[in-house]
Amino acid sequence: MAYVVDLERREVKALRRVAPWRGKRVIEIGCGDGRLTLRIARLGARVLAIDPDAASIRTARRSLPERLAGRVRYRVMKAQRIAIARESFDLALFSWSL
Amino acid sequence: MLAPGGILLDLRPASVHRRIGIARSARTRPVGVMRERFEDERSADRAVARVVREGWLEVERRLRFPCRRLVDSVDEFRTFLDDFTGRHGEPLHDWLVRRLERALEARRAGRVRTRIAIDGPLDLAVLRKLDARAPRARVSRSSRRRPRAPAA
Repeated sequence: MAYVVDLERREVKALRRVAPWRGKRVIEIGCGDGRLTLRIARLGARVLAIDPDAASIRTARRSLPERLAGRVRYRVMKAQRIAIARESFDLALFSWSL
Repeated sequence: MLAPGGILLDLRPASVHRRIGIARSARTRPVGVMRERFEDERSADRAVARVVREGWLEVERRLRFPCRRLVDSVDEFRTFLDDFTGRHGEPLHDWLVRRLERALEARRAGRVRTRIAIDGPLDLAVLRKLDARAPRARVSRSSRRRPRAPAA
């Protein structure tokens, strides 16, 4: 499906305006196929991206470029069951998911 | 989960009816406006308002900016629509699909690529986590209902 969202990258421009991203620990909730995850990782953040849909996470993992692999982790997980009590994050991003 | 002073970003489509059009090179011809009920959006707004009211987070900033989604065919547009009509009995948009089909039929001639544009703004709320030791205004329902009696 040729489904293109935000060709002009206004989302990432807005995100850059409101928060510092370089070196930050980020959890992205509702990452879907990782469209926004990659844009955030390119800003220099380390991202744990979660989504309850396993198929979306598989797609996201397939499209993860090697150069970003050290900065992005994908997990199948519901927001209500975030099993990462030992981790804390500087930024939490609800991507079209709240 | 969020470190002290951490930031929560709530990014999602605004509660604004999306405009559908036919995009061809730099121009977009309007075809119709969707009619969503925004039940999920209102529920999310209430959840955010609650955590702010209870003093867990404070709103630092709100932004609204345009966002365009593009699909190549009416079938793809139907897939997009299913996301809405499947939730909370959102109204069907068959009339819009028919209108799109007619509009596309009339514009498919020629070599210029024609796509379906879905335009609707996004809202971005920036909320900062407040220090748990010094809640700003953590007010429970019961304490709001029964205000403390003034000192005699």
